[in-house]
Amino acid sequence: MKNNVLIAGAGPAGLEASAALQRLGYNVILIERSETIGGHLARWDRLFPDGESASAALDSLIEGIWGVKCFTDTEITSANRLGKSFNVILSNGIIVHADAVLMTTGFDLFEASKKEEYGYGIYDHVITNADLEAFFRNGSDPRINNPSRIGFVHCVGSRDEKAGCRSCSKVCCATAVKQACEMRQAFPNSQVYCFYMDLRLFGRHYEDMYLSAQRDYGVRFIRGRVAEVSENLDGSLMIKAEDTVASAPLKVSLDLLVLMAGMRPSVSGARIGSLLGLQSEDDGYFRVMDGILDAQRSTVPGLFLAGAATGPKTLPETLADARAAAVEIDKYLSVTFPEAKDFKQLMRKGW
Amino acid sequence: MSLLDISTLAAMFPAISAAQASPEVIDRIPSSYSDFVIPFVAGMVFFLCWVSIGCVRIFMKIGPSDQAKFWKSLVNPVTAAKNVKDLFCDCLFHVKIWKRKPLLGYMHSAIAFGWFMLIVLGHIEVALFLPKHLSPRAGGLFYPIFYRYFVWINPGHETLRGSFFFFLMDFFLLYVLTGIALAVFKRFRSIVLGMKNTTRPSTPDRIALYSLWLIFPLRLLAESFTADLSGGSFLTLGMNHLLHLVFGDSLYFQPFWWAYSICLGVFFAAMPFTRYMHILTEVLWILFRNAGLKPSHPRKGVSEAEIYACSSCGLCLDACPMNVQRKNLRFSSVYFIRFLRRHNERKINAIADKCLMCGKCLALCPVSVDAPALRRAQRRTVNNLLPYDYSYLARTSAPAAAPFLGSAAPATASASGPVEAPSAEKVMYFAGCMSHLTPRIIKAVEGLFKASGTDYVFADRDGGICCGRPLLLAGKTDAAAEVIEANKKMIEEAGCGTLVLSCPICYKVFSEEYSLKGVRVLHYTQYVKELVGSGRLRLRNGGAKYVYHDPCELGRGMGVYSEPREVLGLVSDLVPAGHERKESLCCGGSLGSLTLNSRDRDKITEAAVSDLTVNSPEAIVTACPLCLATFSRKSPVKVRDFSEAVLDNLSA
Amino acid sequence: MVDFGFGIVPSSRINLDLFDRAKFEALATLEPDVRKCMACGSCTAVCTAGTFKATSLRAAIEEIQNGREKKALEMISGCQLCGKCFMTCPRGINTRHLILSIVKIYGEEK
Repeated sequence: MKNNVLIAGAGPAGLEASAALQRLGYNVILIERSETIGGHLARWDRLFPDGESASAALDSLIEGIWGVKCFTDTEITSANRLGKSFNVILSNGIIVHADAVLMTTGFDLFEASKKEEYGYGIYDHVITNADLEAFFRNGSDPRINNPSRIGFVHCVGSRDEKAGCRSCSKVCCATAVKQACEMRQAFPNSQVYCFYMDLRLFGRHYEDMYLSAQRDYGVRFIRGRVAEVSENLDGSLMIKAEDTVASAPLKVSLDLLVLMAGMRPSVSGARIGSLLGLQSEDDGYFRVMDGILDAQRSTVPGLFLAGAATGPKTLPETLADARAAAVEIDKYLSVTFPEAKDFKQLMRKGW
Repeated sequence: MSLLDISTLAAMFPAISAAQASPEVIDRIPSSYSDFVIPFVAGMVFFLCWVSIGCVRIFMKIGPSDQAKFWKSLVNPVTAAKNVKDLFCDCLFHVKIWKRKPLLGYMHSAIAFGWFMLIVLGHIEVALFLPKHLSPRAGGLFYPIFYRYFVWINPGHETLRGSFFFFLMDFFLLYVLTGIALAVFKRFRSIVLGMKNTTRPSTPDRIALYSLWLIFPLRLLAESFTADLSGGSFLTLGMNHLLHLVFGDSLYFQPFWWAYSICLGVFFAAMPFTRYMHILTEVLWILFRNAGLKPSHPRKGVSEAEIYACSSCGLCLDACPMNVQRKNLRFSSVYFIRFLRRHNERKINAIADKCLMCGKCLALCPVSVDAPALRRAQRRTVNNLLPYDYSYLARTSAPAAAPFLGSAAPATASASGPVEAPSAEKVMYFAGCMSHLTPRIIKAVEGLFKASGTDYVFADRDGGICCGRPLLLAGKTDAAAEVIEANKKMIEEAGCGTLVLSCPICYKVFSEEYSLKGVRVLHYTQYVKELVGSGRLRLRNGGAKYVYHDPCELGRGMGVYSEPREVLGLVSDLVPAGHERKESLCCGGSLGSLTLNSRDRDKITEAAVSDLTVNSPEAIVTACPLCLATFSRKSPVKVRDFSEAVLDNLSA
Repeated sequence: MVDFGFGIVPSSRINLDLFDRAKFEALATLEPDVRKCMACGSCTAVCTAGTFKATSLRAAIEEIQNGREKKALEMISGCQLCGKCFMTCPRGINTRHLILSIVKIYGEEK
């Protein structure tokens, strides 16, 4: 007998965990709500800190899921407990008898239009970080018209109680620095400003990237949150912020404003979570058994969590979390279903 | 008190026994006095002294100009007519409550109007049927109250007129009793009468409340015991037969008259310290209100009449948007007024500062007690003294240095000439502070100006001076006067005949406090309505399903309800919200509150959003930058501004 | 002890010893949000009065805690209470009440 493991969400965490559990000898069913797999990674162009190609990274993740039953365009319609397992009905009509479920539902990007003062969707030259990645991938965006003055606004929908998200999204600072450098590469004559509240760049090589942005690309870092955006008569944008280091209000005309939209708990993830009886914390992310020692186990037996479903994470952290979840699931299934042990050992000898 | 039967009584009161002995005598007066009237008289005298002193105090605190205004208003036929109408509609019939909650309205009007009619009819009865050998003043002030005790008629000689009054008196007594029954019921199950929350009564309130509950049943019993002797109609006579069935011929009436008198006495003695003081004070307040007197101090002069006009009915509890959280009940207007009466400064300030100033309590108050204005007056006592420095306004309002006008010149849609006399054609658009944080409004309003070919200047494109309303709301009236002066100068020098505002907060203060000569002040919803009416904007129905949110300052604040709805009705399929117009809920973003924190505000926003989306609209449409930004962050459905909704549906 | 005279030179250095803790606690009791500021500068960026006169709630909060109360009061004396800072503050600080409270605690009545 082979244990079934259902994984909800085919982003980086779902893909990596599928691959690991498949190798451990489980029958993995991976479902994805959208038409394509890869999550936000599929929409990104290059990755910080070293500028690796996102599509190459995604390709190697997809290579790993050979043998996994993957259903795209599929959602969970209902789920209920059946003994030690879960009986899960999918929107494509398939019923899965899952011995363990892994939630890799990830995050949603903050809807930048909710920050009224930035005028996203109103002004012609205000875009988000995701829009900019799409521009890097496709090479065109009507809003980006050879800009000579470019501003990046950090913390859009992060560290903002008013917008309903108090926490830091962790990846935007690094993304902004990366994108700032990329913009200078794309538009060598441009001047780039980064408006930050606190620069939170803490990983290996991140400081090098920051230094390079300052030294090699001349990115101007201004400590102050952009709080008002208006339109000049020529269609350019007028930005107001405070330079808190100089302790004076500041204004600057820009041709392009990039909003670093932060991470929000996934709305569809929350829907599945409520079907399965998962608990969320105040910030909307799922509660884990223990933030330090047991960060992949949920409060429901047999239900596991990995990736940004339990809070903002960088890509390497997400992948590590997914592998850790695979180990946790293996541990859980070996204890809960000891009769499946022999088959697993047979499988593992084959590898 | 032990019950007495008629024989003991006869021994105690020779007059009564004499009366009993010769039943053929009509209009027998046992006496025009009995000891049981003492409690009532004592209570009433105390009450009247208190009221007289109170009136003198109030009038002494009112300035001479306001006094003159008041006396003039009494003789002015228009205000006099309004006074009479308001006194009947507000004090007696409680029309405002009827319109919202019929059962509650019935309860209030039954007690108020019923009691009023009992008193009036009682006095008429005395005047008409006063025994011949008694001078009109013989009975003193208690005589009409206990008329049925003092006057016994011969059952065989009932006059037609008498029975008519007997019927009326019984009818109104029954009317009051049904009201009292509802009031007792409301204490336990207020929700049936449409009230989720009711006021927590104070100890004096309880004393007065229980005596009020008892007054009318006791009156019924007392009058019923003697109804066969003193006359009665369907109620008292029927009750009389019942009592005879139960007690035989023993008449235990004396204790009931005592009890009735004691309850009345207690009620009137307690009245000045209770909510029931409103019964008289609201008359004074309505006269003040209609004379146009405004409170200048939170509890002295006009305000004293106003705060004692509050009946603690508690309608403001359910009205208050803060009360989505029960912990905020204590910040409601009814408690604010209660603490004003008690001079509890600490609590007064805490409540005054918390309020969102949405004005819903005022809109729903049966006697229009303007609690938001009292709160502003209270805030003024604290905040108006705080130092500030607006010396920069003097520099900026000089025409040459005016930064807003200097930069507004290129914003003119057509060539702007030199400053001339105000022309109605020329429009000045003043976006206000808040609209600068909601670019979608500015962009769409300018779009509408361009589409309609309006000749406009954008006064504060690069930022202006605040309109002054937030300062007024905080009680900083002196500071507000300075910014108002600066803005006024700027507008008058610009020579525009029409001032269009996109923020209801600005609109309210520009309309009410600026007195701009020759300048029409319009909210953009009104201006767009005019443009549509004159054919300068042609609209098509885009078929979207919208719900309209009434901003507090625009709706309740300025009474602009229909213009935005009429225009939105032309471009979309407008669905109703759970609460509309003057009942609408505050978005939670109001600048009115000084101390409400953002978490509590979020709760109000969530409640308002769910109320707006009961009919599952595609978008919430509002006409205020503050509401827009507040909803935008919390709403699961799209939030749009009025101007955007119109701009999207222009027909070529 | 030898006094070399350096002590008498008026210093531009912030002296945290001058910070009046009791007064600040009184302010924090009146408006607890004073402790929530993360110095992003949004309030200063949008300030209506700031167009005309150096006005900054962020700086005022900072200066109070640096023991420079006069300077703090100066930074908010031109405030028109328009509420833009309240709208834009990411921490949801009750800025208008904070400003009134600072003036109440540190200002003198006119």
